[in-house]
Amino acid sequence: MTIRRLLARVLAVARKRAHDHELENEIAAHLEMAERDARESGMTAGEARRAARQRFGGIEQMKEEHRDRRGVAWLENLARDFLHGLNLLLRDPGYTAMVTGVLALGIGANVAMFSLVDALLLKPLPFADPDRIVRIWESPRPGATNSSSTLDFLDWKRMSQSLEAIAAESPVSVALTGTGDPVRLTGKAVTADYFRIFPAAAAIGRTFAPGEDEPGAAPVVVLSHSTWRTHFDSDPGILNRKAMLDGEPYRIAGVTPVDFAGGDEVQFWKPLIFTAGMRTRDFHWLSVHGRIRKGATLVEAQEELRAIHASLQSLSPAWKRDWKIVMEPLEQVLVGDGQRRSMLVSFGAVVLVLLIACANVANLVLAKGAARRNEIAIRMALGASAGRLIAQSLAESLGLVLLGGLAGLSTGWVVIRAAVPYLPASMGYQSAPAFDGRVFAFAAAVALGVSVLIGMLPFLQTLFAKSGRTGALSGKQGLGVRGASGANLGVRRAIVITEVALSLMLISGALLLFRTLFNLEGLETGIRIENVVTASIDLPPQSYPAPARAAAFYESLMERVRAIPDVEAAGLSTFLPLRWIGNGEGLLAPGLASAINVRFKRVDPGYFSTMGIPLRGGRGFTDRDHAAAPGVVVINDALAAHLGEAAGWTNVLGQSARLTTPRYTDRKGDLREVEIVGVIRSERTAGPGRPDPLVVYVPLAQAPSPGVELLVRARPGAATVLPAVRAALRQVDPLLPLGKTMTMEEVRDTNLSGVRRPAWLIGVFAGVAALLASVGLFGVLSQVVFLRRREIGIRMALGARPRQVVSGVLRSAMAMVAYGLGLGLAGAAALSSVMKNLIFGVSALDPAGLAAACGAMAFIGLAAGSLPALRAARVDPVTTLREE
Amino acid sequence: MSEKEMSGARSMDIPYGTLDLLILKSLETMGRLNGYALARRIEQVAGESVQLSQGAVYPALIRLQQEGWIRAELGVSETNRQVKFYSLTAAGRKQLRIEVANWEKGAALVARFLQGSAR
Repeated sequence: MTIRRLLARVLAVARKRAHDHELENEIAAHLEMAERDARESGMTAGEARRAARQRFGGIEQMKEEHRDRRGVAWLENLARDFLHGLNLLLRDPGYTAMVTGVLALGIGANVAMFSLVDALLLKPLPFADPDRIVRIWESPRPGATNSSSTLDFLDWKRMSQSLEAIAAESPVSVALTGTGDPVRLTGKAVTADYFRIFPAAAAIGRTFAPGEDEPGAAPVVVLSHSTWRTHFDSDPGILNRKAMLDGEPYRIAGVTPVDFAGGDEVQFWKPLIFTAGMRTRDFHWLSVHGRIRKGATLVEAQEELRAIHASLQSLSPAWKRDWKIVMEPLEQVLVGDGQRRSMLVSFGAVVLVLLIACANVANLVLAKGAARRNEIAIRMALGASAGRLIAQSLAESLGLVLLGGLAGLSTGWVVIRAAVPYLPASMGYQSAPAFDGRVFAFAAAVALGVSVLIGMLPFLQTLFAKSGRTGALSGKQGLGVRGASGANLGVRRAIVITEVALSLMLISGALLLFRTLFNLEGLETGIRIENVVTASIDLPPQSYPAPARAAAFYESLMERVRAIPDVEAAGLSTFLPLRWIGNGEGLLAPGLASAINVRFKRVDPGYFSTMGIPLRGGRGFTDRDHAAAPGVVVINDALAAHLGEAAGWTNVLGQSARLTTPRYTDRKGDLREVEIVGVIRSERTAGPGRPDPLVVYVPLAQAPSPGVELLVRARPGAATVLPAVRAALRQVDPLLPLGKTMTMEEVRDTNLSGVRRPAWLIGVFAGVAALLASVGLFGVLSQVVFLRRREIGIRMALGARPRQVVSGVLRSAMAMVAYGLGLGLAGAAALSSVMKNLIFGVSALDPAGLAAACGAMAFIGLAAGSLPALRAARVDPVTTLREE
Repeated sequence: MSEKEMSGARSMDIPYGTLDLLILKSLETMGRLNGYALARRIEQVAGESVQLSQGAVYPALIRLQQEGWIRAELGVSETNRQVKFYSLTAAGRKQLRIEVANWEKGAALVARFLQGSAR
């Protein structure tokens, strides 16, 4: 058949009615002319008509042949069945709405969840050749990671052959002035290779050129797209302007494209220029990334780096000799194991919800299909092929499925759009979840799978119930014939039992997660959190070149802040409480075989009291611990215990030790003699449930840092003190903006977000699942009552009281629930190994939780069964017995 | 020929390929024809040797239209009714020549075989 003919045939399907009409016309005309000729040859009118028809041949046969030849039969059938299906849907809007709603929920939730999983776990990073991007760090102990030092980085850069680009970066914060109010921008200082590792086609201008990170190069900056939009009004002439960062003019080299993800909320990039003072090997402050050149493998690059590291060992300080070097593909590093696991569990949960939704829809479809079983049985008996009936079944449900699939896609799209703002801000280098081609393909696949499942059901239900076939033909619509209704009902019951089981698993999972959340929230943070706000302050080196100036600034600021009426206490610290202390230094103490790595935190005298950290012994810091005074430190009791064990100290107070201390801006550390004057209760800075690290606290006055966090505790019930704090800051330095502010509650909550999100997510899913299960139960029980109304009528006529009928139905409901619970408990036990890693403080098979979940499902079963039970009680024996 | 035989006979007696050829040839010879005239012409030319239901031309006609070998125009019949008139297209003329050539080749082949086996 030629293409032309094929197209014409397909077109003919659409023009069916026109064709039929034309043919009728032609036939009529033909017969007319034949009659006339016949009359002319002498026949009578009647004879002529008969003769004309005879010679014409079979009209209906010819019409059928015509139709077959001109159209495409299967297409016509498909169209007809599809339209018939649509018609059925329109006639029963309640059913249509329910099925569409259920499918929308199930498919939509899956689509949304998949987009999240895809964006975070599956998709490669949005850079060229992302599998070649690696992260390099030094590792003091297996599993621990540390930043790198300047000279180490430079050596790696010089000596590595397998890396085509290697760049170091360090977070940096500047005050942007000259564009309205001074504003604090957070960004990164990066070496020039950075944009070779993370390539970006600049939206305007360019990224860094080689050499712009050499000392003496003219200062340039690359802005992020949102910074350009927000602070520079999307000025198209941006390249002619300069940005005043910390009082210095920077030429603007370019703007990154809108979807460039450079890490946590990076607003700008400036070149990282290593001054002489930064070229040390003992201060670790750089994050290093590399790109493996084409032709080299990861393993080769790792080997080479290890060899380079080994060759540099002799140059490293003694306390670093045991450190290893680690190079890992960035893609593997970005999503931690914990986050990955919780996402996959959430995805599993949402798949369960989809299954329950499908089960519900299947139930609804089966109920509807029961009415057509007669028709299907007759057609099969007359010889219709299974293929034809399957095709019809599928075509009719196509309408329903398209509706549900479309609803699911839209729901998914809406959920994705609505949820993106609430997702973790630090999505980092990955792209945000979006409704893109991959997600659409997944959604289409899910919709297709669901549709085939549902489309086949009405047909399968007759095919497999052999007795049902003859049973359906033998008359009564499944009322008296046990085989027919039994088979159908058995399947529906099984489906509902499965729904109950899956719902139980979801509910118990949600309960576990919520209890974990509760446990974590209740965990002793060890500090006072209420009414404390935090704000970050960064002193620009141009205005505060010397440590003494910084110390003076802090003193002035704290004086003013403490003078604010609503402020109870205030303190300064280089790291926020509850946050990991990123600064590690070496502590040498008598009795210790070698230096130990300790966390290093600089605080002012007000810190411990502001955060309510109790002293275990000795004293905290005072104003007398200034730069000229002897060096003192306070340690946490974890370190005190360690010193007791490892160094055999009986008493820590008054002991001396040597501590590497970073200088003000130089990335160089000095070894200082310090005396331990106090021990505090350990702050919780590792994750919940992890052991406290060893921490050394140093007075800020003795080792000023250009960046600190200000902590202010307000009186209970006071309004926000931030405006007063800003005013105080303006008095000391009008050009200095306050950086990011957060309440301590927010700080604590960000630590817990890893558990809170999955808990709420699975909680919602569990709720949806329970709802769907109850709908399923309701449907089945209603059908049972309907089918058995004759039986109920007989019973009531024989003297059964309504109460007994009601309890009969309820018992039926509870039987299904009981089977479901049994199955569900087995499922929960099977999943306990998966849940184990996500929970804290509660066992995966916690009896209280399981009992609560069972109770909830039992209650739902009763509720779902109550209406059908009442309907059963209202059955009028007289009416039902008369039905025939 | 009994009535029963005539009314039962369908165009299965003439293979489709042949019917196409007859239609195309008739249209070439006669120019424009409506469905009835076409059926009558085939009847006349084929004589009594063939059982052809007149109605059988219509499925063939729609097929030929779809292939683009004939075109249909509306005209007025002798009984003053609007009816379709069919005529050959250029492609149709070409197809006719091809079909005739095929037919003659096929006939010659069969004839050779028959001669050969008769000897």
